[in-house]
Amino acid sequence: MKTRTMTALLLSFGLLLTGCAQNAPVASQSSKAPLSAEQNSTQAQGLVASDTWAKAAESGMSAAFGTLHNSADFPLELRKVSNAQGDEIQLHEMTGSGQNMSMKQLEGDLVIAPGADAVLAPGGNHLMFMDLKKPLVAAQTTTLTLEFSDGSSTDIDFAIRNFDGAKENYDEHAGH
Amino acid sequence: MSMPDINVPRRLLLGSTAAAAAGGLLTGFGAGGLRSAEAAAPAQEAPGGPGFRLFYGQYQSGIIDAQQEHAVFAGWDVLWRDGSRKQQLQALLQMLTDDAARLMGGRGVLADTEPEMAQPPSELTLTVGLGQSLLDVAGRGRIAQLPAFAGDELEEQYQQSDLLIQFCSQDPTVLHHAVRAVAKNLRGLTKQRFAQAGFMRPMPGRETFRNLFGQVDGVNNPKDQLREQAVFGDGQDSWIANGTTLALRRFEMDLDRWDEVDATGRDFALGRRQADGSPLSGTSVDDPVDLAAVNELGLPSIAANAHVALAKPSHAAESIHRRGYNFDDGQHAGLLFASYQRDPATSFIPVQQRLAAADALNTWLKPVGSALYAILPGISEGGYLGEQLFS
Repeated sequence: MKTRTMTALLLSFGLLLTGCAQNAPVASQSSKAPLSAEQNSTQAQGLVASDTWAKAAESGMSAAFGTLHNSADFPLELRKVSNAQGDEIQLHEMTGSGQNMSMKQLEGDLVIAPGADAVLAPGGNHLMFMDLKKPLVAAQTTTLTLEFSDGSSTDIDFAIRNFDGAKENYDEHAGH
Repeated sequence: MSMPDINVPRRLLLGSTAAAAAGGLLTGFGAGGLRSAEAAAPAQEAPGGPGFRLFYGQYQSGIIDAQQEHAVFAGWDVLWRDGSRKQQLQALLQMLTDDAARLMGGRGVLADTEPEMAQPPSELTLTVGLGQSLLDVAGRGRIAQLPAFAGDELEEQYQQSDLLIQFCSQDPTVLHHAVRAVAKNLRGLTKQRFAQAGFMRPMPGRETFRNLFGQVDGVNNPKDQLREQAVFGDGQDSWIANGTTLALRRFEMDLDRWDEVDATGRDFALGRRQADGSPLSGTSVDDPVDLAAVNELGLPSIAANAHVALAKPSHAAESIHRRGYNFDDGQHAGLLFASYQRDPATSFIPVQQRLAAADALNTWLKPVGSALYAILPGISEGGYLGEQLFS
């Protein structure tokens, strides 16, 4: 009886977390809420994404941001990001400091330790659209598929917003 | 999504603190060391506590709740792209819902470059309304537009916009941030028509305030249940259940010529005493406006063309709830008249027609702005403002 009560509570708060972490109707949708650590059988199920958004752009390059939380008790290794349009989307990291920061493609996976957040933000790590096939129109949403090293994947909605920043320079020596 | 049927305190269901709380609870039960960025944020007042107005509810906030001291009424016209306008409107409303929920919860909007300015929200409310043009795009709802009133000298920039958001807060800095954050998100999607800022301060223990003529404004506003009935309907809905309408009029005051009027003349024009707001038919501000009362000469105490004589609702259906603000934009000063009512055709419009035709105060008033908006119903968490128009 006690076990059942606990399960109900876990379920309830799991749902609560999913609903409230966004506090937004369409901004983003996390993967399935974690019921408990043991039940996260795949990396994709361990991901809780929040505040996910992408910079509006008519064409060319753009970027996407948000907080990727690992609710599992094993690391998440984000390997590949794609979308239905077939855009090339890279995982980028920022290097350098101050006014001299530049970005380059992340070598290997983006690894999120158990319980940790990967914060993707302007001026920091981000997802990079290399050459948009379709415009990212403000107020609309775009869906990205995040694929992990275990082959699991999940679709995340990114709210599209106007943004004047995120004009990071490329590191010319990084092979772009 | 539907909320699980468990007894979680309501304030836990709202905003960032809720996420933090839920995160903390999860830590206790399972994934050890779970920590969200929000959980790590310093403790703050929970939405629903002092300093917060609720975003989710039966009605939008900022309508029948207590008036905050600072306001900006911002109007935008939508710039349509190719494709379905209905879908574009829907996306716009979803974004505004997200913006309003975050800002009223004391958080920055997505892509916010100054999220720190959202704290503490200081009773911030965002109240969203649509002009008839957008109801037409949605294909549902009819409120029409305000007619031309006698004496109108409307300026293009203060006329009807497609979209209106009433921003209110006790803190003008928080307010400025909220307006700017939303305006930045609307760039490219809209053209801003106006941002009309206003201020007021309730008199001690009351909801009335001094307007810039020096008069006590808002005396006869309906209260409590009567207010709710006037705004949202009494057995009969507004244009939509749990929605209402907002009439927004901008009146410039000719304060230099008002200076020339002595106290008696001022009181005569209003029908109330400037000193304490009492009607000329009584002695206390709470006395009723009695149009049958006569003075010692046998003449009506309140002239037939006094403002209060014409503004007085002739029957209950004419009741409106005023939520206006003073303005001084550096060039002109006056009153940003804002009233909420279930059906403007039976309330605001006939009252305004009477006033426009004969109000003794018209001598010192110049109407330069006029617009009417369909104020959307409140929503529950997971929904978006205007969702009823698209179902």
